[in-house]
Amino acid sequence: MTRTLTLEMRGISKSFAGNPVLAGVNLAAAAGEVHALVGENGAGKSTLMKILAGVYQPDAGEILIDGSPAQFSRPADALEHGIAMIYQELSLAGRLTVADNIFLGREPLALAPLKVISQRAINERAARVLTGYGFDIDPRARVERLGAADRQLVEITRATLEATRVLVMDEPTSSLTTREVDELFRLIRDLKAKGIAIIYISHRLEELESIADRLTILRDGRVVYEGAWGEISTDVMIRHMAGRELKEIFPRRTAEPGETRLRVDGLSRAGKFSSVTLQARAGEVVGIAGLAGAGRTELVETIFGIRQADSGEVRVNGVRIDALRPDRAVAQGLGLLTEDRKQAGLCLNLSLAQNLTLSNVRALVKTWKLDRKRETAIARGFIERLHIRPPNPTKIIARMSGGNQQKVLLGRWLFANSKVFLLDEPTRGVDVAARSEIYRAINELAEAGAAVVMVSSDLPELLGMSDRILVMRRGRIVSELDAKTTTQEEVLTHAAVAEARG
Amino acid sequence: MSELIKRFLPFVSLVALCVVIAAIEPRFLSAGNLASVARQTAVITIISMGMTMVMVSGGIDLSVGSILALSGVVGAIALVSGVPIVIGVVTAIATGAACGLLNGAAVAMLRIPPFIVTLGAMGIYRGIALLITDGKAVVGVPSGFGYLAEGNLLGVVPVPLLIVLIVALATHVLLVNTLPGRYCYAIGSNIEAARHAGIRVSRYQVLFYALLGALAGLAGSIESARLVTAPPTAGEGYELRVIAAVVIGGGSLAGGQGTVIGTVIGALIMGVLANGANLLGISSFAQQVVIGAVIVLAVTFDEFQRRRIEATSA
Repeated sequence: MTRTLTLEMRGISKSFAGNPVLAGVNLAAAAGEVHALVGENGAGKSTLMKILAGVYQPDAGEILIDGSPAQFSRPADALEHGIAMIYQELSLAGRLTVADNIFLGREPLALAPLKVISQRAINERAARVLTGYGFDIDPRARVERLGAADRQLVEITRATLEATRVLVMDEPTSSLTTREVDELFRLIRDLKAKGIAIIYISHRLEELESIADRLTILRDGRVVYEGAWGEISTDVMIRHMAGRELKEIFPRRTAEPGETRLRVDGLSRAGKFSSVTLQARAGEVVGIAGLAGAGRTELVETIFGIRQADSGEVRVNGVRIDALRPDRAVAQGLGLLTEDRKQAGLCLNLSLAQNLTLSNVRALVKTWKLDRKRETAIARGFIERLHIRPPNPTKIIARMSGGNQQKVLLGRWLFANSKVFLLDEPTRGVDVAARSEIYRAINELAEAGAAVVMVSSDLPELLGMSDRILVMRRGRIVSELDAKTTTQEEVLTHAAVAEARG
Repeated sequence: MSELIKRFLPFVSLVALCVVIAAIEPRFLSAGNLASVARQTAVITIISMGMTMVMVSGGIDLSVGSILALSGVVGAIALVSGVPIVIGVVTAIATGAACGLLNGAAVAMLRIPPFIVTLGAMGIYRGIALLITDGKAVVGVPSGFGYLAEGNLLGVVPVPLLIVLIVALATHVLLVNTLPGRYCYAIGSNIEAARHAGIRVSRYQVLFYALLGALAGLAGSIESARLVTAPPTAGEGYELRVIAAVVIGGGSLAGGQGTVIGTVIGALIMGVLANGANLLGISSFAQQVVIGAVIVLAVTFDEFQRRRIEATSA
């Protein structure tokens, strides 16, 4: 079967600060076809699509539109070629109306030389389009007053008007209800009929089943499978996505789990997760698996008191923390390693030592004065213990590698005498060598009697490090698996596939 | 390399400025003139110490000029009513601290951007000062009060200079050697990281604003001692000079950066600039243009530095 290719991306490579994110990726989409792009978090899907949208420039490779090479140095270039994108993070102007957002940048103009925006024309046209799509939204409503689902529909509407050749949808259904998803799929079929190529990114395999024509699977920045939809079974797809075998060596722990360190009972936060109950014992690593948006990060942040819980309670070493708040959590021996080191972990313009001692500066106070000599000595101790490089306590932390920054943050909680470690994606953006050191450090924590709760999207890591794995889906813990006997396929099945298999 | 430039640029600028002015007008270096530079810059320098804390913690306070006026007025009213001079000064400091506390509470508890909170506070405190004085300066302060601004310790060291030294030393020790100082840099560097580290961020924010307010109150006392009256219009435009002192001295509007030594040099640069301009017969209106331009330059420099650091750590 020959396909007319609307879009061809050839040999696309991209590195960030020396870390390759994409390596020689090919992706082709034909007119009137829905091309599913799948892969684990961090496989490079979003980067690839941002290159297509002109947000990033590739280090190597080329993009062909209808067979002829095109250069996108700005998002406007991609739009000019009829390539539009629905981003995962919504990008609407909240204070403008639905209609204004739909036509933003392409407003119908009246009184030609004066370029007056005709508000009436905008509203009428927006109303026509929305009704045509079966979306029940008032074009004059301000976007900030809409719910997440309606916003997503507005975003979709805008993108469909921009897309004359290619439309990229990045998790377009993440906040839609079943009925709205049906409307969306009908719209997608209309767009297909118009000859638009659709690249559809989703974690929900059952959803792809009903619309996808072709499939590309990305893993670690490479294409590991490309073919017509349906050629391979869901099981094989999942194996391709998870793919890599246990490359890193996960040292085994010998200690038997001891007393319960962390106890979470019926913790709920509206719209994010509900009735979560879990325990972690001394010497135990409890893994939390799930897809992006399953509520894992919100859960650990709520346990730590960064976010407010609507109900439920948290006990550390049997002591109930009332009114969860980070300073109380720290005082009770909780430590949180956040998913985004730069956003909520590091004080970038402070030194290694200052970052390391931050959660327990009090311990350095002698009468009223900070004992900075002791601080340096303590930092040196952790540098040696965690193999932090460069071994310089006064090094500004912004200038250190991601892996070493992460080790400093682990050291922070060690110095704060934490007994329960909540680790959110502890090795994201960390190179392989530093990874195994972080794994070793995590094991040391457990051996020393700490309880570790680890959220990770890296399945080999989760299987290799955990004793038990709790799988979250849409805000609930749906199953508990024994890490010794379970498989990556089983975890992904529980996390991704709806009730049919779970 | 750029780190070094950043650290020494203010100092080198100050020395260069002094050399140039002294070359044109040798009177600049006379002991009498230097003492008057010290007296003139004392008020700004004292407030700048507090502003350094607030800006290092990632905040800003535009109401310092108004706090100075209100504290000066309240302190003077107390003095006129007959309390001892020490009590008058303490009253002014307490008034300033209360104003700062309110600013800090609004910033920390209500989570309103400090620029907006203190812009409003600037109007409110000035308005209160005008209301309680009916717009007229408070007169009749005891004659001994002038010692605070014009006196000399042991006949040589200007009293305001001494106060500046004590305040600067205390602020330096607080920022470098104490727990609140460490938290100050951490909060300004990354408020979310500080919160995640278990620091009671709002409590410390309130503390820094209150300390700044107290110092503005102290400065209010010195200002009214210098003028021998307490006008409710005192300190207008001081926020600009104070913020300029911090920024010229290497403080960052984004927070997390700034030192006492840098700020003192920043305040001196502006004091010398003003003094030199007077000696050379340049209008005080032109000085305002220069100060404004220097702020923009210093911030631009800081911004480029920051972008470079971010680029290398991406």
